[in-house]
Amino acid sequence: MSRTLNRTSARYLTRHPWQLVLALGGVGLGVAVAVAVALATESAQRAFKLSNDRLVGTATHQVVAGTAGLPDELYRRLRVDLGIRKSAPIVEGFARSEDAASGTLRIIGIDPLAESFRGDLGMVLGTDAYPLDAFLTEPGAVLAPEALGSVGDVVEATVDGRLIRLAVVGRVPGDGSALADTVVADIATAQELLELSGRLSRIDLQLDATDLGDRVQAELPSGARLVEAAARADTTVQMTAAFELNLRAMSLLAVLCGMFLIYNTMAFSVVQRRELFGALRAVGVTRREILRLVLAEAVAVGTVGTLLGLAGGIALASRLVRLVTRTINDLYFAVAVEQVALEPRVLAGAAALGILATLVSAIAPARQAAGVAPRVAMMRSAEDDSGWVNHPGLAGAGVLAGLAGFALATWRGGDLVAAFGGLLMVVLGASLLAPTVVRAVAKGGAALLGAIVGTPGRMAARALTVGLGRVSVAVAALALAVAVVVGVGVMVTSFRTTLIDWLGYTLQADLYVSPVSARGQSATLRLSNEQLSEIANLTGVDRLATIRTISVETSPEPTAVLAPSHAVEDRESYRLLEPSGNQAMEDAWMRFEGGEVLVSEPLAERRGVAVGDVVTLPSPSGALELRVAGVYVSYASDRGEVMMRRSVYASLWRDPLISGLALHLADGATRDGVARQLREILQPLQVVVVSNSELRAQSLVIFDRTFRITAVLQTLVTLVAAFGVFGAVLAQQLERAREYALLRLTGFTPGQLRALIGAQAGLMSVASIALALPVGWVLAWLMIHVINKRSFGWTLQMTVPPGVLGQAAAVALVAALLAAIYPAVRATIAPPGAALREE
Amino acid sequence: MTRGLVLAVLAALAGCSAPSGPVPSQAADLAEVLGGESDGFARALEPREFGFPRDHGSHPDYRTEWWYFTGHLSGADDEAFGFQFTLFRSGLPRRTPGQGGGWRARDLWMGHFAVGDFRRGDFWPFERFARGALGLAGASETGFDAWLENWRIVAEDTEQADSPVVLSAEAGDVALRLRLVPERPPVLQGVNGLSQKGAEPGSASYYYSMPRWRAAGSVRVPAGDFEVSGTAWLDREWSTSVLEPGQAGWDWFSLQLDDGSDLMLYAMRRDDGTTDEYSSGTYVAADGTVQPLQRDDFSIEPRGTWTTDDGIEYPAAWTLRVPGAGLELEVAPRIPNQEMRLSFRYWEGAVVATGSLGGMSVGGRGFVELTGYGRPD
Repeated sequence: MSRTLNRTSARYLTRHPWQLVLALGGVGLGVAVAVAVALATESAQRAFKLSNDRLVGTATHQVVAGTAGLPDELYRRLRVDLGIRKSAPIVEGFARSEDAASGTLRIIGIDPLAESFRGDLGMVLGTDAYPLDAFLTEPGAVLAPEALGSVGDVVEATVDGRLIRLAVVGRVPGDGSALADTVVADIATAQELLELSGRLSRIDLQLDATDLGDRVQAELPSGARLVEAAARADTTVQMTAAFELNLRAMSLLAVLCGMFLIYNTMAFSVVQRRELFGALRAVGVTRREILRLVLAEAVAVGTVGTLLGLAGGIALASRLVRLVTRTINDLYFAVAVEQVALEPRVLAGAAALGILATLVSAIAPARQAAGVAPRVAMMRSAEDDSGWVNHPGLAGAGVLAGLAGFALATWRGGDLVAAFGGLLMVVLGASLLAPTVVRAVAKGGAALLGAIVGTPGRMAARALTVGLGRVSVAVAALALAVAVVVGVGVMVTSFRTTLIDWLGYTLQADLYVSPVSARGQSATLRLSNEQLSEIANLTGVDRLATIRTISVETSPEPTAVLAPSHAVEDRESYRLLEPSGNQAMEDAWMRFEGGEVLVSEPLAERRGVAVGDVVTLPSPSGALELRVAGVYVSYASDRGEVMMRRSVYASLWRDPLISGLALHLADGATRDGVARQLREILQPLQVVVVSNSELRAQSLVIFDRTFRITAVLQTLVTLVAAFGVFGAVLAQQLERAREYALLRLTGFTPGQLRALIGAQAGLMSVASIALALPVGWVLAWLMIHVINKRSFGWTLQMTVPPGVLGQAAAVALVAALLAAIYPAVRATIAPPGAALREE
Repeated sequence: MTRGLVLAVLAALAGCSAPSGPVPSQAADLAEVLGGESDGFARALEPREFGFPRDHGSHPDYRTEWWYFTGHLSGADDEAFGFQFTLFRSGLPRRTPGQGGGWRARDLWMGHFAVGDFRRGDFWPFERFARGALGLAGASETGFDAWLENWRIVAEDTEQADSPVVLSAEAGDVALRLRLVPERPPVLQGVNGLSQKGAEPGSASYYYSMPRWRAAGSVRVPAGDFEVSGTAWLDREWSTSVLEPGQAGWDWFSLQLDDGSDLMLYAMRRDDGTTDEYSSGTYVAADGTVQPLQRDDFSIEPRGTWTTDDGIEYPAAWTLRVPGAGLELEVAPRIPNQEMRLSFRYWEGAVVATGSLGGMSVGGRGFVELTGYGRPD
């Protein structure tokens, strides 16, 4: 019997290819988006972990000290005096290079003789691929992966504005892919290339005995920290966690849209086969068998769709990974991904998600099929009888779910996952309102369209309520997509507007000077005092300010320390969030002058620091307890910043270096003229001299690049939803083919028929928009005030741009109308008799 | 003696070793470091004036140099140990140094340290590498002081030619700390200290030995800590010599005989199985008279073999004859496995000797070094 039943399924599906395609498309697209996002983010993480594992090897601990670094001598003390033989000094830095795929070249300096306790980067004897003598003695000698250069090649790069030439003398041992865009140099060479003479970036240790940690600790100079290697790697990966969670949440929305689509398809197929199921029941097939039959169909469709989705997702991932990597490089740390890693875990998870989502979506239609009474066999009805849409408590449940979701999302004790969970509940709750909205739109539509286009309009409006179940689901799917478009659009626009505002008051100097160096890395502009005063005395230069930015090792993540030379004079460049009130702000600046610090909003937000609290920072002068005078607005980084007076910094860090210059020009001076003179003075240093407007534009370019992946996902979600609407309209119209044929026979013109079908689609999109706009607004609000705040610690000014709303409405309308074209054409071309005979 | 050659030849040999063999294939390329570029280094062309303690110190003008202690130790309850402690200096190509800091090194250093526990039949070899920078490794240029991390040999008074030397080394469960008191002044090997290694001028080293040191101190092995005393032998050699083709390896002997005389012999084996004409030795009579030995003045006859678990066959007993001194000795290892199974692979072990000297029976002890046996035929 079951074989016969299966044949009926196969027959049905093959005779309705459109439905099959829609169902497969729904599953496939949802899975593809989810897989692509997961693979892309995993690949970026994996690339980081691989290169980290490769470099850290079996080392269990690291001694680190941020930008300031560690003295060479510390290594000798740990290795020789403390006898920690499993120890290796590392000098690490970044350069900008055209030859690197990511544009950023990592330079790792090692002592090849100290590496033998871990990994394979070390060498004591030399090989053809690792000629020790050349490696140790040739100027600029590096080992490079094949992609960067062959032995004998010279790779040019720029570090802090200096051109450096790397002579490729060998190949990085082992699998080079873990160290893409990375060259390995002898530690002496690396110190020369990076101008880090006498300083180590870190010391890697393998501490086998537990008491060693304390003995190491006792040796450390102030400013240095002993950290567990694994924890440190995790922290680095964690920096991107919020970013990646946001991406994943969006990809899940695509799956949700896909689920609506599957539900729709399955429900429709069940309705179409009511007679068949009734007949089967009449000949003795049990309810259970019918339930199983429909679920088996769902699994079959889900499996094929999932496989298609996996294939599509893998293809999509290679595009997404570039966007993800770019963003991570822009905002977090240097990572180079050579290829998408097809993690079996991710693929299996996505496959399970696809099939499970299909199955869950099919449960209601399957139960409906199983519920068909045997006697229905003799009744002819193709009407949608899904009773749930008429349930009186539905709208109430939706409102309750939405409110509960909102409460969960905004609950103070909640984390980012809770926020996304709440957001999802809001979306699902809103979906439950779809029947109510559709009914309202149908009611209004009947009156309005009836007045405009007459009978076809009224019929179109009524048709919505007749097939309310499926129409509601399609409307919910489209509304969800449109809400995402609205929500994300509003969030991004708000963010961008906030950023532009911030850049506007922060960048008040006319020219900014920094060395050409690797993107996202703190740089050093090496100037002599003579050069500095020469610049200050240039005609056209009214005032010169300098800034020093360094990174210090704090737990759980590094902290940036900013020391502007004229923070107090340039105070219009900084906006205080806390304290508020003019007098309090005045006091805060006074205390800043007196040696207290200002912290950035992300630091205050993410580490729970408020005015009057103390932040602890390691420094060469020991652990510093710095009192917080205020919290200032900064969108420069989602990691924390601590700003202090330059004089305070200079005395605590004993660091006279600067990272960049800001020049205020005199009236009448031309930026180009001053920039030219600047470059002359600074030769041969390669510097970037930009005006404030250029810097503003560059910042926005990075911002837009960061959100490009968001836009891509938004498009994909919309695509899935459009597919859903397309399917719903199509299914409905196909189902009504017979009805339309009758209408034709009774005198409806093709034009009237097209108007009828088009009006139906139009009303569906109107219902979607009506539902989507408020939901989208709520999503935007949650993303701005909860998710962004929890992810990055930023306060954004919410801006609702009409353009975004219009765009969202247009998307809904176009999707629905496009979906109506085929049924309209088909209904008007097909000879009416043929449609009737089909029955 | 030829321990310097040990490095270079082993390196060259290892390059040809079977891929399955445990000798690291990268060993070959030390030849490039050690033997590749001699530009910028002085060469041992003619005899020189030796002076001490200056010549106990480093000679950085030459590419390769080593300080080589071997010895026998004994403790209470028939405890018996052998040790080797060697620091090798290998000059890097003398290029214009970068402006960079303390990590720029002129030399790479390799340390070999081994202790044999003869009562228990154990042998522990260790190696270390470091660059001569930041105080990680180095040597005085004026007196007896050389170190690689915390492995060190340093004179109690570096300004004294015959000062006692303190040796300290540890690795894992094994440690050695000895005070070594010289009992015989330096013996210049070869021709007044110029030891010719090949036909080419400059294929030579400066080479002296201090064949008798009285040792006392402590040794730590996994079985425990022991107070020990005994004797030691020091070889010092420096050169920029480039190896000549056709040399397969060598067998080197240093023996301290009961009557107070000392014997050093080395036979360089050629690829064709013959003994190279630049093989040589020195016999130091009990009264201190030094008698240089040429290839034809002695013979070394292997009497047995010992095979490693991976199939390398080393000779394991010998008959030595020095007819001119009336000396005939049967030499046997204290234990068979004294193989230095490290980045460079060779056998360097404590041996005992019995035989006759001028018709009188004589005993002795010493060390044997066997190189070039890891090479497949």
